[in-house]
Amino acid sequence: MNDNELTPPGSRSSAPDRQRAITIEASNLSKRYGSVQAVDNLSFTVSAGQVTGFLGPNGSGKSTTMRMIVGLDAPTSGTVTVAGRPYQDTRFPLRTVGALLDANAGHPGRSASNHLTWLADSNQIDRSRVAEVLAIVGLTDVGSRRVGAFSLGMKQRLGIAATLLGDPDVLIFDEPINGLDPEGIVWVRKLLRSLATEGRTVLVSSHLMSEMAMTADHLIVIGRGRLLATGSVADFIDRSSTHHIRALTPDPATLGDLLRAHGATVSSVGPEELSIKDMTCREVGILAASAALTLYELSPQSSLEEAFMEVTHEQGDFRTTAHDFASATP
Amino acid sequence: MTFTTVTPPPARPTQTSATSGSVSRRTVVQANMRAEWTKLRTIRSTVWTLSITIAVMIGLGVLFTALEAARWDKRSIRDIATFDPLLYSFAGINLAQMSIGVLGILVMTSEYTSGLITETLTATPQRRLLLVAKVATFTGVITIVGLFSCFAAFLAGQAVLGHDHGGVSLTDPGVLRAVLGAALFLVMIGVIAIGIGAAIRRTAGAVAALFAVLLVLPGLVMLLPSPWDDQVTKYLPGAAGEAMAAVTKFPNLLGPLAGFIVMCMYTVAALVIGGLALTNRDA
Repeated sequence: MNDNELTPPGSRSSAPDRQRAITIEASNLSKRYGSVQAVDNLSFTVSAGQVTGFLGPNGSGKSTTMRMIVGLDAPTSGTVTVAGRPYQDTRFPLRTVGALLDANAGHPGRSASNHLTWLADSNQIDRSRVAEVLAIVGLTDVGSRRVGAFSLGMKQRLGIAATLLGDPDVLIFDEPINGLDPEGIVWVRKLLRSLATEGRTVLVSSHLMSEMAMTADHLIVIGRGRLLATGSVADFIDRSSTHHIRALTPDPATLGDLLRAHGATVSSVGPEELSIKDMTCREVGILAASAALTLYELSPQSSLEEAFMEVTHEQGDFRTTAHDFASATP
Repeated sequence: MTFTTVTPPPARPTQTSATSGSVSRRTVVQANMRAEWTKLRTIRSTVWTLSITIAVMIGLGVLFTALEAARWDKRSIRDIATFDPLLYSFAGINLAQMSIGVLGILVMTSEYTSGLITETLTATPQRRLLLVAKVATFTGVITIVGLFSCFAAFLAGQAVLGHDHGGVSLTDPGVLRAVLGAALFLVMIGVIAIGIGAAIRRTAGAVAALFAVLLVLPGLVMLLPSPWDDQVTKYLPGAAGEAMAAVTKFPNLLGPLAGFIVMCMYTVAALVIGGLALTNRDA
């Protein structure tokens, strides 16, 4: 076990989470397709009232896990429950759980509103919700257009509309920002945040670590189907060895000496720039003020990508191609 | 397109109400029948295929009864012996079974090819109930189409034949039963096709399997040494359907009731195989 992992796989999440209701619970979930172990003994919990990021590189088993959560694929072994019961046992599940697993799902010849209409019918959700959710995702004007003519971004919006139909307590999104323009990405981010703020459970997968840094409160990191780490996003970044503070000052030498004297690790990056580790921004600010040193900028620098690479790298037998490529380059 | 900002749904209505437990299986099937009906009627190919089925049944019925009436006086002994006024009225049934069969296949395979199955099964994870709803809805639609096209083909064809050329009326013995038998045969082919679609999941493969059973198999069976050729042919779906739709008693066909029972067995077998594939295989 390495110290980048906030909690070892299998153990329960940290203290603040304990107050939140657990709504998705996977225990020892495994899925094997022929000779491929897509998901390997995965255990995790997802709680209400926060956005949980489900993070892992492409092909790490995120989609397979999500498909098992909603009963599309049966686990080879292990169990997963949503709102306390296996999804397959839920009748009219759209009223409890909304899941967007494949934005391209949908008959190309059917209009967006007809698509939502049959979905509403299947779970006896009032058809008036169709217009409401189309308005929420901004597709009101194109509701009568065929889905086949939609861009990927519009299909994502339609998929999100479908998840909201039954006003569910639990929402699951697989890569919802794929194909969205920047405006759409910001919109999804806000939507996920507001859904969580309302007390709903939001589980969202992504292979984009930076996106998760902006959206998620809590992280579940997997690689090759195995749990690599879980914990809050803030902790995840803080624990990362790549986490550092960037300080801009007209007198980097003096500030550097001062911080070193107080236990920080400091390196000079540019003519006016320092990279500081082992110290918080607050401490740097207080020390600089005490010595009457000017700071132009004081900001935490963190890369969830790099933190993620560290975790996956430590895993030993798990390497991304990108990582191999990077290490092969001088 | 304008992007509205997020307007979160109004304060969470506490939704303890209609989740599991309080929802009966019957309610799930009813809700899904409504959903499946919405699915069917919102795809143009459904309307087209069913219209073609009706047109083919009436058109070919009129064409072949007219040809028969035109050569009425020049028929050979054998022609006269094998004449069945209904089978001429139902000349289009071989094509109609294909169009209804393909539509039945598409009820399942279009879900898989479009990826829609993800949403369908997420909305209704009770796969057996889903299949019941799909079969019930589709059966309802093709029963109407089957009855309409068969009665229309019968009335048009018999009008062309007229009393002078062997035409019969619905009140003649066995005639009403034969017309209903023809419609029922089409409905059963449609249900068998749903089973094939559920088992194979790919449109091309499922259509090939349906055509193999309905078109290729009879040709192969004919190559069997006598008497096996005639004995086996009787039990193939096409011949069983013919037995249901004929008023004349042919030596190489089963009786109408036996034909119906054979078709029932095919239907049940196809549904069981399709149902097992749907419930036991991933997504």
